[in-house]
Amino acid sequence: MTLKNGDKLASVEVIKNNFEQLNYICSLQIATAVFLAYHLEKPILIEGPPGVGKTELAKTTAEMLGIECVRLQCYEGLDESKAIYEWKYGKQLLYTQVLKETLGEILDGAKGLAESVSKLHEFGDIFFSEDFLEPRALFKALKSKEGCVLLIDEVDKSDHEFESLLLEMLSDFQLSIPEIGTIKAHPDRKPLVFLTSNNTREISDALKRRCLHLYIPFPDAALEKQIIQARVPELAENLRNQLVTFIQQLREMDLKKVPAISETIDWARTLILLHSESLDPDLVRQTLNVILKFQEDIESVESELQTLTNKALKGNQ
Amino acid sequence: MVDTTLVDFVKALRTAELKVSPAETLDAMQCMDLVGYADRRFLKDSLGMVLAKTTDEKAAFDECFNRFFTADKFKPSTAEGGNEAATQQGANDDDFDTDNNSAPQAGKGGQGGGQGGGQSEGEEIQGLAPTSELGKLLLEGSRAELMIQMAEAGRKVEVNQIVVFTQKGLYTRKIMDTMGLKELQDEISDLQGVGARPEQQLAGKLKSARDQLRERVRDYVERQFFLHADETGKQLREELLKKVKLSNLEKRNFKDVQELVLKMAKKLISIHSKRRKTYKRGQLDVRKTLRNNMQYDGMFFDLRWKASKVDRPKIMCICDVSGSVSNYSRFLLMFLYSLASILPKARSFAFSSDLGEVTKLFEQSSLEDALSKTMRDYGNGSTDYGRMFQDFKNHCMDDVDKKTTIIILGDARNNYGDARAEVLREMYDKSKRVIWLNPEPRSSWTVGDAEMKKYAAACHQTEVCNSLQHLERVVSNLLKTAS
Repeated sequence: MTLKNGDKLASVEVIKNNFEQLNYICSLQIATAVFLAYHLEKPILIEGPPGVGKTELAKTTAEMLGIECVRLQCYEGLDESKAIYEWKYGKQLLYTQVLKETLGEILDGAKGLAESVSKLHEFGDIFFSEDFLEPRALFKALKSKEGCVLLIDEVDKSDHEFESLLLEMLSDFQLSIPEIGTIKAHPDRKPLVFLTSNNTREISDALKRRCLHLYIPFPDAALEKQIIQARVPELAENLRNQLVTFIQQLREMDLKKVPAISETIDWARTLILLHSESLDPDLVRQTLNVILKFQEDIESVESELQTLTNKALKGNQ
Repeated sequence: MVDTTLVDFVKALRTAELKVSPAETLDAMQCMDLVGYADRRFLKDSLGMVLAKTTDEKAAFDECFNRFFTADKFKPSTAEGGNEAATQQGANDDDFDTDNNSAPQAGKGGQGGGQGGGQSEGEEIQGLAPTSELGKLLLEGSRAELMIQMAEAGRKVEVNQIVVFTQKGLYTRKIMDTMGLKELQDEISDLQGVGARPEQQLAGKLKSARDQLRERVRDYVERQFFLHADETGKQLREELLKKVKLSNLEKRNFKDVQELVLKMAKKLISIHSKRRKTYKRGQLDVRKTLRNNMQYDGMFFDLRWKASKVDRPKIMCICDVSGSVSNYSRFLLMFLYSLASILPKARSFAFSSDLGEVTKLFEQSSLEDALSKTMRDYGNGSTDYGRMFQDFKNHCMDDVDKKTTIIILGDARNNYGDARAEVLREMYDKSKRVIWLNPEPRSSWTVGDAEMKKYAAACHQTEVCNSLQHLERVVSNLLKTAS
């Protein structure tokens, strides 16, 4: 497979550096996954808690390679007419109406029903050709001229039937459409496929078998600092350290929803807006709703705010 | 060569309960070609993505990888360079410690010259050299070579087939034999036969080298055992536990069984969690079709059918928790509550004479606590089925409807009390199904104070149920007919 800018995927280090230039800080594992996906021509199934940059990875890869990112958001009830293709019923109807008169000419001279039908057959299935096909995400991805990144987001939200529908696409990069035949991706332009899952249900073994499996956990302190630095460069270093230490402590706690990276970034931005220079319990209390999304969580953290903040300040020195 | 190593590794992964398909093995080979062996971490990350597909599996994979490829240090793929330094570097385990301690004389490249005592070696033993191959290897070859020989021999005698602990000695001897132990023995006894001092010395040296080799082979076999057989043993035990009568289980096995139940429940969940939609084709939904086809000018392109979704079953589970049956109830309850994600509407009751609902208890506390509390609160007293049925009628009969499945677990031994089978009859009429699980064999269902005959008439299904396997089957059937 040779995609445009494929040299940017030459080795794990190259990938990592390229990602960093686009402000996506990743661990070696993530870079390894992208490397393997490209060279083994396999889709990646990305799992992990929400907000660790699963979707972002696909988008960044597309940006890095300078190709299109085709996104398919999964939801319950998603089916082939919404994911692969649909017939343009309206157009078909319109054409039949318009062509009604022409029909007379075509059938002119035909005697009897059998002859008329056989005459009609000569024209083939015009109404079920690609002209009347409305391509959807998967179809588009296969047909893409210069290759693309296909992002199938939150695949765990879709039904089991849809999962099975994906199998053909994922293993052979092709789709079978009964009226037309098999649509294949150009062997050198296969889409780079990312699937993400939040683990709301178990993904079937068949699907997993066809994918590389990447688990993105919450980042450790060092990595998170780097991420914040890349995303919110305005934030002063000591505040950044305090912030990350604080968040890391929260992740240790027994919360309904622990703050993810996206929340850390939001918080960092908030602190800049407030022109804060260092964490203190009052400040944290006021801005706690940026990082915690449940009232119960906020209450349970508030009671320990003092110690948590102190630790964050101390850990920094 | 490389492929066999990988296949061995996959085998080790499978014993560690990773589901690795042949297709994935092929992927892994492709992956190894691409990645190479130079960077251990890179290789580990890559293989991890190809072979391990859940977080649990990833943890197991990491452990397995570390164990497997430590042992592999001695195998040719990494030892190829042959330079002692590289091997020494990897020598973080006891295997090499013995050498390091016993060869301070630094005679020859650290090779196992552990000459028993402090007897200094001299330069050579007056031109004498061992003649047998193994002897030569022991005294002159490098350690890497020896390790290669050992791994080769291990492969020949298929040491990875080892299953139980007691086979260790057997495999150790087999490997020694393959490496040429016999000739070495002959040589030693020949040398001793000569009686002259140099020969004696050489014989002694060979002997101690041989003993050391034996130690090392034993270590090697042991490691292979942990890699290949440890989990197999566990699987054997689990199979056994599935079949054993639950009343014969001892307390110390409870933990194992609990794990097993969770595992079986997980399996059932993954099988049954597919929300099966049943469409009743043939019934046109006129309203929907009209609305849907407005966009096509009222032409009926796209017909809509009435669909009906079947609900999950409502389950009421009545468990006898008196002494004789408590173990069975225990595990049935455990099963039901491990299935909470796909059986959200389960209610459970416990009784020995008075009936009490324990649903809340199970929802609020952990499985173990709830179980022991149930046993404590309801577990003593003599069984009285009549009373139980009366209680059920008074409190719960209104909740029974056509979707309810009632499971009763008990031996139906009523101490010659009033059976009250008519209440059961009422339940039978009102509910979808009544299933009676009896831990006793069918032959004793009518013996003594057992009222099973009366009760069975008012049940849709009666089953003997006295092992985990039975339980699993019952619960699985329950889920199947429900959805």
